This record gives sequence, structure tokens and C-alpha cells, in this order.
Amino acid sequence: MNRQCLIPMILLLVASASAQDPPPPAEESSASTRYSLAVIDDATFYSGVPAHAPQILNQLLLEPNFAIRYKDRLTFSTSLIGLSATYDHTASTLRVKETYAGLSAGDFDISAGRKMVRWGTGYAFSAAGVLDPPRIPTNPSDRLNTNQGRDMIKADWVHGPHALTLAWSTAALAPAHSTLRDTTAFRYNVLVRGFDTSLIAGNDRGGDTFGALTFTRVVGQAWEVHGEAVWREQAAALIGAKCTLHSGVTFIGEFYTPPSTAYFRDLSISPLAGRQHYALFNAGKSRLRELPGWKEWDVSGSIVANLDDRSFVAVTDISRWFGTHFSSYVHIEIPHGSNTSDFGSARYDTATSAGVRFHL
Amino acid sequence: MSKIDLTLRTFLLAVTIAFLVAWAALGHAATAPDATALLKRSDSYRNGWPAYTLRVKITNYEASKSDEEHLYEVSQKGTDKTYVEFMSPREKGRHLLMLGDDMWIYLPDTSRPVRITPLERLSGDASNGDVARTNYAVDYSAEFLRAEKLGSQSCYVLNLTAKRKGATYQRILYWVRTEDARPLRAEFYLTSGKHIKSASFDEYKESAGHLLLRKLTLYDEIRHNSHSVLEYSDAAPRNLSDKLFYQGRSDRF
Repeated sequence: MNRQCLIPMILLLVASASAQDPPPPAEESSASTRYSLAVIDDATFYSGVPAHAPQILNQLLLEPNFAIRYKDRLTFSTSLIGLSATYDHTASTLRVKETYAGLSAGDFDISAGRKMVRWGTGYAFSAAGVLDPPRIPTNPSDRLNTNQGRDMIKADWVHGPHALTLAWSTAALAPAHSTLRDTTAFRYNVLVRGFDTSLIAGNDRGGDTFGALTFTRVVGQAWEVHGEAVWREQAAALIGAKCTLHSGVTFIGEFYTPPSTAYFRDLSISPLAGRQHYALFNAGKSRLRELPGWKEWDVSGSIVANLDDRSFVAVTDISRWFGTHFSSYVHIEIPHGSNTSDFGSARYDTATSAGVRFHL
Repeated sequence: MSKIDLTLRTFLLAVTIAFLVAWAALGHAATAPDATALLKRSDSYRNGWPAYTLRVKITNYEASKSDEEHLYEVSQKGTDKTYVEFMSPREKGRHLLMLGDDMWIYLPDTSRPVRITPLERLSGDASNGDVARTNYAVDYSAEFLRAEKLGSQSCYVLNLTAKRKGATYQRILYWVRTEDARPLRAEFYLTSGKHIKSASFDEYKESAGHLLLRKLTLYDEIRHNSHSVLEYSDAAPRNLSDKLFYQGRSDRF
């Protein structure tokens, strides 16, 4: 084969090879947005309340969320809660669940505004979630989405499995009755050998210095274990596990022991009561697919108990979807215990909430 | 017959037998393809680039009647990082993250990222694992079983066995087309040996220079009147930051 033939062939091969090169990776489109809207009407019926107290609390909630991201670098997100509650009178409020702006550059992220962070690993209890919304063990999923974030400036550095976060949160905009303080907190998070582990340290201005260790780990096919160890004046600890069966039924158990200090103690607990011990047991299944016609149903039941005063509350949740946009639910709480106990001191015998949600 | 003739004849017979045996062995080896290479090639029909995004629409059918739709945006980087954003109204705000063998789900109504156990990956008509784990060569060891016809198409049948904890199924029987390793059919089995799902790989489509899977149907082998159709679209290579795949990030977009 002479050179005159060889050169065009080489050119042809090079051209065809370059034609097969993968196209260059595309940048994220300049701006992308997300939005959602939830409208909830929730009615709670109380039984066993004093004669002068209303027996029904009705809440109408409007919850719009909007977020925009520009070129993977700038983010703005807002999430509001409009609430109209009717009990002995009607009151309407507008709450800011989250509103923050973020800047991302290389391995660094900086955000400022009101936002939710979730550092605690507990399902129903948490001592390590120093900037988290409060955990309510009878309503750990915040079923009406009324939790609000903290006002903060937060800087993250993420590199491989390592992440460092420094956050400063101000209490200046917190409601007047709030016990929140300005908080400075640092967190190191790493995923190593399946352990999602965090070290947290910080200080409440004019208050406590704290430190915490958290972890989660999946064990075998069915188990997840999680825990928290916290020092804040005194030690608090949480250990929990989740087990999933082949049938899709999930069990969650937690044991939590906070010290009797002002920060950890629940309002219903006497300062003289000493260290408390709590337990949670939850069983649930989402989408009852095995039963014909029950695919749209989710059910779960929980017992939350104070092991010291032997009071407990039984909680049942049942929900059902109707099409793509509507769902309805029933949430029942039945407290039990003496009138001076943690859960028995509730001012009702039974609280039954029923509601309808619209999602867009 | 002289002694030399007998020796020569015996030698020639031995050579002939040795040749036939060697030929048969080589012939067999030629028909037993490299199962691992086939599996890697078949993965390329679902993972076109080292980092990419795509959309998946899942339509669930009960008794051949469509009863619900789900939409997901999937971002994948390498073979072990997948991030799934749930886009349909009833699941908005949910995210799924897979890092190697570990998986988390972010639910808007829970207070923390939730670790998912391997059994939870199986939940749903099309499971979390069906959407998020598409690199079979990373999760399974492949063994060539046989060559056979599937309809009019010649194919190899591979036996895939889970080799890591993150694999969604314990065993997969996998039919790939002989000529180009294109996946045609799969049967999925649990550790107990129970056959729980089957899949048919129905349509492929050219996308940004790659032939990629466009439609997959999953059949529920326990509830036989139920199946799910997964439709893939908008596949494109992307620069994806490692931060997208950080499990501690709660302010997900």
C-alpha cells in the first residue's frame, strides 16, 4: 500500500475515532427550580378534657416551598407556613420554616439564613442535635411540618468521605418565650467502614459547652443501629435500632437517658426527679401491598414510655392516598399514667386527629 | 505387520485422538464466553458515561391497569455513587443516596437522613435498588451458564451472584444478546431462592452517541397481576460535584 493511500486512511481513522469520543460533560443548566405546595386541614378531637375547655382544635395550614439554584453555585430556598388555628378563638400566623441563601465554591459551601440542620441520629429522641428542630417522641415525623429552622451562618467543607461544618446560630429572631441562645457549633462527619460517624462540639453563649459523638451503621440484611453520646453538664445517651422484615414491616426501638438538667428536662418533669429513662417501640408498614386494594395505606403504631414513672403514651397513625395529590390520615394519642407523671399529666384522655392533605 | 508399522499406527491413532480431544476442548472454550466481560459490556447500555444524569418514569400496573406514576431524577458518578431525587407530587422532597454498600433516604418529614437496610432496598414495585443500582458488574460475580434462543434472538445466559453487601438481589439470571451483550431479560432471586421479579429490557435508544436502555418492564412474580414499566429519558453526561453525594447534607435541592 503506497503512502498516498495510507494518509487518507489514517485521516479517516482519526476522524472516525474522534467522532466516537464521548461528548464533553455538560454543565448544569444555568438555573433550575423546585417548588411544592401542601394544604392541610387537621382537626384534633380531645376526650376527657375539663368541661370549660374546647374539645376540638382545627388547624388549616398552607405550606409553600420554593428553591432556585444557579449553575450549581448559588442557591436560594424558602419554605413558609401559614397557619390558621381555631380552638377557644381563631388565630392566624405566618411562620418562616426556612429561608436561606447559599454559595458553593469548590469543596466549600456557605449558607446564611434560617435553615434546618439534622445532626442527631435518634428517631424519637436526640441529645446531639444541638441545632436540630425539637424531637417530639409522639410525633417524630412532624406530621404537620410545623418545625422551624434556626437562624444561622453555616460553612461546610466536604472532601471525599470527610466533612467539616462550622455553624453560628443567633437567637435574636427567636420568639420571645423561647429558651434558645446564640450557639456556636462544630461538626466533623466521616463515613468509614459503614459507620456514619460525627463528632460535635460547641458552646451556647452564656451557657453550656457541649460535646457529642453520633453514629449509624447497617448490620446484615435487616438491621440498622444508631446512637448518641453527649456531654453537656452531665452525660446523656441514646441507643436505637431498626429492623426490617421480608414482609416490609419495620420495627424501631430506642432507649434514651437524659440527665435532670434545665437543658434536657421536659417541662412535665420535676427538677427533683433525677435522671430519666425513656423507651420507644414502633412498628409500621408503608403500602400494604400484600392485601388486595390496600396498596395506598400506611399504618404504624408506637409506645413511648417513661420508665421511671411508668407512664406511657400509645400512638397510632393510619394514612391513605387518593390519587396523586390527595391523602388523608388519622393520628391517635392515648396517654396513660398518674396525673403527676410525664405522659399521664396530659390534659386529655385521648387526642384523635383526622385530616386531609393536598400536595402539588 | 511389522513391529514398526504397529508402533507407527499406534502413534498416529494417539495423535489423532489427542487432536480430536484438543479440538473439542478448544471448541468448547470458544463457545464459553468471558462472562465478566459480557456483564461489563451489558452495563454500558444503562451507564453511558462516567458521570451522568437521567430521568426515570415508573408506571405501576395492577391487573394491566395503570394505577400510579412516579418520576425520579437520577445522578450517577462512577460505579458506586448514585443520588436520586423524587419528583412526583406525592414524594416531593424525598432523596435517595447510595454510596458503595450504604444507602440513605431523606424524607421531608423525618428529622434525619435514614439509613436503609438491604431488605428495605427491595420495597416497592420497582425497588430503590432497581432505580439506584445499575452497575451489575460491580455488585455481582458472573458465570456463563448456557447459550440459548430467546424468541428469535441468540443469547447467553449468565448466572450473577451477589459479591457485595450493597447488591439488591442475591442472584440474577441474566439473558444478554450474543452479538452485542445487550440485556434482554432477567430473573431476580432472594437469598431464600425465592423468585421475586422478572424483567424484560424492551427498548433501546441512541442518546448523545450511546445506545442506552429506554424501557424496562418489571414483573412481580409474587403478585402476578402487577408489573411496573420504567422509562428512561434525558440521559446526558454531567460534571457532578462530590458534594452532591455527601451523606450528611440535609439542605438538598
